[in-house]
Amino acid sequence: MTPPEERIVRIEVNGRPTSALVEPRTLLCDYIRNHVGLTGTNVGCEHGVCGACTVRIDGDIARSCITFAAQVDGGKVETVESIAPSTDELHPIQRAFEAEHGLQCGFCTPGFLITTQALLERNPDPSETEIREFLSGNICRCTGYVGIVNAVKRAARDLRDRGT
Amino acid sequence: MTESGGFPYPGGGRFVGARVKRAEDPRLLTGEARYAADIQLPGMLAVAFVRATEAHARIESIDVTEALSLPGAVAVLTAADLDVAPVPLPFEFDGLAAPPQPALARNKVRFLGEPVAVVVAENRYQAEDIADRVRVRYDRLGVVVSPEAARAADAPLLFEDLGTNVLFERTESAGDVEGAFAEAAHVFRKTFHTNRFVACPMEGRGVVAHYEPRADHLKVWSSTQTPFLLRTTLAAVLPYPEHRLQVIVPEVGGGFGAKMSTYPEEVAVAAASLKLGRPLSWIEDRRENLLAANHAKEQQITLELALDTEGQILALRAEHVGDAGAYNFNSTSCLIEPFIGARNLPGVLRLRNYEWTVVSVATNRSPVGAFRAVGSTPGSTTRDAFLDEIARQLGIDVVKFFRKNMIRADEMPYHQATGQVYDSGDYIGSLDQAVELVDYAGFRRRQEEARSEGRYLGIGFSPFVEATGWGSEIAKSQGLPFSSHDNASVSVDPSGMVTVATSMASQGQGHETSFAQVAADVLGVDVATVRVTQGDTDVSPYGMGTFASRSAIIGGGSVLLAAEEVRKKVLAIAAKTLEASAEDLEIADGRVAVKGAPQRGLSYPEVAAIAHWDLGVRSDDDGHRLAATRFYDPPATFSNGCFVALVEVDPELGTVKLEKIVGVEDCGRVINPMIVEGQSHGAVAQAVGGALLEHMVYDENGGLITSTFMDYLLPTALDVPPIEIAHMETLAPHTAGGFKGMGEGGLMSAPGAIVCAVVDALSPFGAVLEELPLGPEQVARMAGSLATEGGHS
Repeated sequence: MTPPEERIVRIEVNGRPTSALVEPRTLLCDYIRNHVGLTGTNVGCEHGVCGACTVRIDGDIARSCITFAAQVDGGKVETVESIAPSTDELHPIQRAFEAEHGLQCGFCTPGFLITTQALLERNPDPSETEIREFLSGNICRCTGYVGIVNAVKRAARDLRDRGT
Repeated sequence: MTESGGFPYPGGGRFVGARVKRAEDPRLLTGEARYAADIQLPGMLAVAFVRATEAHARIESIDVTEALSLPGAVAVLTAADLDVAPVPLPFEFDGLAAPPQPALARNKVRFLGEPVAVVVAENRYQAEDIADRVRVRYDRLGVVVSPEAARAADAPLLFEDLGTNVLFERTESAGDVEGAFAEAAHVFRKTFHTNRFVACPMEGRGVVAHYEPRADHLKVWSSTQTPFLLRTTLAAVLPYPEHRLQVIVPEVGGGFGAKMSTYPEEVAVAAASLKLGRPLSWIEDRRENLLAANHAKEQQITLELALDTEGQILALRAEHVGDAGAYNFNSTSCLIEPFIGARNLPGVLRLRNYEWTVVSVATNRSPVGAFRAVGSTPGSTTRDAFLDEIARQLGIDVVKFFRKNMIRADEMPYHQATGQVYDSGDYIGSLDQAVELVDYAGFRRRQEEARSEGRYLGIGFSPFVEATGWGSEIAKSQGLPFSSHDNASVSVDPSGMVTVATSMASQGQGHETSFAQVAADVLGVDVATVRVTQGDTDVSPYGMGTFASRSAIIGGGSVLLAAEEVRKKVLAIAAKTLEASAEDLEIADGRVAVKGAPQRGLSYPEVAAIAHWDLGVRSDDDGHRLAATRFYDPPATFSNGCFVALVEVDPELGTVKLEKIVGVEDCGRVINPMIVEGQSHGAVAQAVGGALLEHMVYDENGGLITSTFMDYLLPTALDVPPIEIAHMETLAPHTAGGFKGMGEGGLMSAPGAIVCAVVDALSPFGAVLEELPLGPEQVARMAGSLATEGGHS
């Protein structure tokens, strides 16, 4: 078998230019984890269902386990590592998950945080139904979603208060 | 709920009972946490497994020639290359034929997905390519995919030497069952078959093994719940000297029992690293997880109940047939479903006469093992559905029926027919509180009104009692006599900060927070000055680890006892320095002072500095070193509670809308109510999956149909309803701190509540439970909207 031809991929990850010589079949999640060295993006199912690996590609939420790195060549990606404003400080969404016990084992959490961030940018005051629908592509096995839904409500409130 | 000051340490009581934010969260929220897949070591290679593509076959040959020619190939190892012993039984068990699972299949494969060879390559992509090119020639054998088929006279045998597929069969009884049945006014009998569903943590299994030959040190990182048991097991089967073996548990993305046992893959990866002298990483993918991590929950249960004219239970007979899967893959895994199921089925019922039969049968399916509320989910679900159906037939309200037959608070401690001694609790009180929380009478009115509009609402109740904190005593009373060894160390360093090291391991339960709360209150310091370490066998004292709701009782209890020792030492040092009697001192807010004279005192940093450096105070016999390690093997204690489900069912579409689930939980003294509620919420979500969605489906060739999340359905935020949890707090009379375990009740009890609620909603159609889970097809069939036909496998 001839090894597939490698190519250079350039992606801006969390505002920083990155590049690597990769096989065409390299998944975006593996590019982020292995080539960029950001391991906050967790891979839960590798077939696009569980949502743990959710990142933003040019602002849109996407599953990095069913996206090839080469598809994002020249694009911008944001991961969970981009959310906190600094090492000492959490983002209001992260603080809300902490306060409402919106996480237990933490494995699905990066995907939920990224998805919540996208929801609240689009809809700053979502109803409970809108929250549950928007998050229904992310699976959590620990929390029963109680703390997560409450955290999104709290984060929405905090971000609105901060905006005024 | 415990309010501050409720914890019995003068000056303490600030943290136990409080919603302390979790110490774990900042790293988990920012991507800083390191799971097994995040571990990178210089020169590390990737492992992929060649897995059986047949459910039952002889291995004729394994050809690795082409595989080894592929880019990145380092090695392909089969059973012939890795000579390791199978995982032994931890204790003798009378009558158990326990064929263990080898690390890699030898001569024969017995289920689809069984590991056959270890592929080692430069990276995982290459490892998977190589695994695809390992040519295994199989000679197919007959396949059995159900206990019924496996027990047939001419059934193919998984283990020819045994001469049977039945691994265990035993009948036990208490009281006069036959006499009670002879006197009964009513006798009911029914057989139930519960669905096979799995723990499915969001992180699969993961193992990194690194053998350094010159240091003679084997390090194994594993996403296990039981680091010390893994170390001891690996040392025995590899074999390798245990004192040179270090197991480290990185961040773990959920376990729920499925990461408790030592798996063949853990042994194989460690053995391969020993052989190659290189660091190896195996990160399970989801298909492997669904195929080969332990399955759970499936039992066939036949119940026979004798009642008097008043609806009082006289006697019960139960037969539990468990599908063990292809191996008793480790410990007593083939037993735990039916054996624990039968022992715990009576639960809250006052039962004098009970006869129970346990059968475990090997089949060509994935091995069965632990999953939250082990054995009890099927037992509890079928018991509830059975009692619900009987109450309806007798025209008795099911809550009245339960109340009449439940153990009363004034009967505590209660000796159950199965030999367990329930220590404390107000079981009927929990039921009554649940009845009040859901406004039962109001619901029945609402149900009537809805029916007149053609809408079908239903309610289901499931009171439960939960054996928790498996130490030696409770294990013995459950008929599985393993002895426990759990320890915690508490130490104060020279700067006055506190370190707790425990033999428990966390998969998201927040041990670092809960144990710090206990230590902080006993020592009278701020919780922020306590750091909890766990999951490294080089750092912590020995212990069994986290399973069976053990951590709060045994982990919390051992931390409490060790902290008490250190507290005594702190008081002794301060007394000597302050020239006061220890009895005249009090500790509060990190300061030891003479009662009534707060200016005469010392801070923790001052006490710690004196203890370490002051030659006048420090004693030569180490008596004043501010550290202690304490062992704890607690007496049996049982939590209790009740779950209630409220549903609306569409009889034509067969859809079930969960309105809400309400739970009452009594787990003794609550350390952190936020964490306790979170555990209940999660258990309830798994109950929703088990009752309505999740089912491992096999075809007749032993092929697993549900090997992706497109087919094996986990509940999402749209499936799980709002959940309300109320606490009762009956302190455990005999355990340190009054703690009882918790976290399993929701999965023991809520599935039964949901099932009974669906049946209740469809009662105008004469519906009864026929098969699980209650997917749309099953529900429509129950409502008579679909013709009845054969069930699925």
